[in-house]
Order: sequence, then C-alpha cells, then structure tokens
Amino acid sequence: MMKKYFFSLIVIIILSQFFLLTPHAVEPDEVLENSKLELRARNISKNVRCLVCQNQSIDDSSADLAKDLRVLIRSKVKNGESDQEIYQFLIDRYGDFVLLKPLLKFNTLILWFMPFIFLIIGIFIIYQHHKKSN
Amino acid sequence: MKNKTLIIPAILFFFILFILFYLLLIDRKPSELPSVLINKKVPVFKAESLLNDNIFISEKEFKNELTIVNFFATWCKPCLDEHVYLKKLSIGENLKIIGINYKDDPKKAIKWLKELGNPYYDVLVDYDARIGIDWGVYGLPETFIINSKGIIKYRLVGPITEKNYNMFKLKIIEINQ
Repeated sequence: MMKKYFFSLIVIIILSQFFLLTPHAVEPDEVLENSKLELRARNISKNVRCLVCQNQSIDDSSADLAKDLRVLIRSKVKNGESDQEIYQFLIDRYGDFVLLKPLLKFNTLILWFMPFIFLIIGIFIIYQHHKKSN
Repeated sequence: MKNKTLIIPAILFFFILFILFYLLLIDRKPSELPSVLINKKVPVFKAESLLNDNIFISEKEFKNELTIVNFFATWCKPCLDEHVYLKKLSIGENLKIIGINYKDDPKKAIKWLKELGNPYYDVLVDYDARIGIDWGVYGLPETFIINSKGIIKYRLVGPITEKNYNMFKLKIIEINQ
C-alpha cells in the first residue's frame, strides 16, 4: 500500500515538472511601456545566446551581460531599428555564436544536412537488408 | 553474407567515435569564444577618463604604436591577480596599456589604482558596458593587443597569469614585427 502511494507521488512530481514555466529573467524596470515593442524585444532576446552561460538565451539568463544586452536591444527597438539590424549588430560583435539557432551558411551545411544524409543512408541499409532477407 | 550490410554503419560508428575522442583529447576550451574583431579596426568610441577631465577619442589614440587594451573592474578577483603582470608589462616593457574600467564604482577604481599602482596610460570609464559590448567583451578580464595601425590582433579571455605571461609577451613581439 505504502509502495503504491510512493510510486504515484514520484509520478506526480515528475509530471509536475512539465507544467512549470521556465522563469524569465526580465526585470520589471526593463520592460517597455509599448507592449508591441516589448513583444518584439522579447522575441529577439529569446533568440540571442547569453555568452556567459552559453546555453541559455538572454531572456532566460540573469547574468549581468544578459541584462545589459536586453536593455540595449530594447533601446534599439525603441529607436526603430529592425530585427535584422539588431541581430547584425550583435553578430558583428560576438559572432554567429550569439544566435541560438545556427545560420544556414557554407560552414554550417554539414550541421543542417547531416541528419538527412543519415536518414537516406538508413533507408538504404534497411532496403538492402530487406531485399536480401526476401 | 548477411553481415555485410553492417559494415557501413560500423565504419560510420567508429568514425564518429574517433572524432568524439579526438575532441576530448586535444586541448580545447569550448567556452572560450574566438573574437570576431581579430584583424578588424578598433571600434570607434568616446569615453571619459577616470583620472582626468580629458575625453578619450578612439580614432586619435590607436595609431603609431602597439597598444594594449585591458578591461578590468575592482569587483573582479582575477583582475587583481592580473594587476602584477600588467605592471610588469607597462613598467618593465614600457608598453602603452589603456585600461577600461568596466561597470565599476569610480571611487573604488581610483582607490584601487592608488593602492596597487597604476599600470595604465589612460583609464576610461565604461559605466553601462556599452564600450565592452562594442568590443565583444563577455567576461572580465579581457585583454586585446592592437598593432601600430589600429588593427586588433589578439584577444586574451581571462587574466594574464604566471602561466601565460611569456606567451602573451611573445604575442606582442610577434605583432610588433
């Protein structure tokens, strides 16, 4: 009986993790008054890597540099710069690595297309195997 | 033979395994990012000086001689460890070092330089990290070597230490040639 309860408790604890929202690091004083601009700034921040923690976006990170970049992005959004201009500004200073999603460029071709190549190889192997076993 | 079909995946598997082991064995610091500013001109900026009333204008300063730019702050412990080596470079080697005081309390910084000695040709104030962001700084301390034509040639992430001091000096000599 005890065991059964214990088991369900563990299941509940594990499942509850899926409902927790990831906390955002954006502090109240950073938020722009114009909600449209704020939304744009949030979207950009979600795609920008925090270079201190490296696998978090600056939207999620509470590192000092992440905050500085969030504030900077907001001031640029307010000044009417386009998303592309803001990304380019960051790439010019921190490199492509600053984007969480790698760009599709010559030196990232392997990264983007390797899975498809593997898939084709896999299908080929299965096909060969199937043909022989028949 | 049926096992023949396994040869390709087996080769692939060992190939990937080899690459992963190779990456483990070589001396690699994945968290240390290469600077995109290498071989580019020094960013254009203006800044107040910490110790006098002059305004520092980047276009006027990075000419004629090799210059070192060092981002530091009093809250940064490795910066304190590094200070001895900066003094060695500035006094011992007679190098022009520009310090950029990154997000710091100016009073603390002035006190710090009075107590420990000032290895800098000029100390600039970067109160909101804007200069740091223009240089792609992501952690303190960071040190850049700029050649006599105002081109950034090298960046060191982390402090100058006993271990890398000679390497750093060699880099300076190499760039100065």
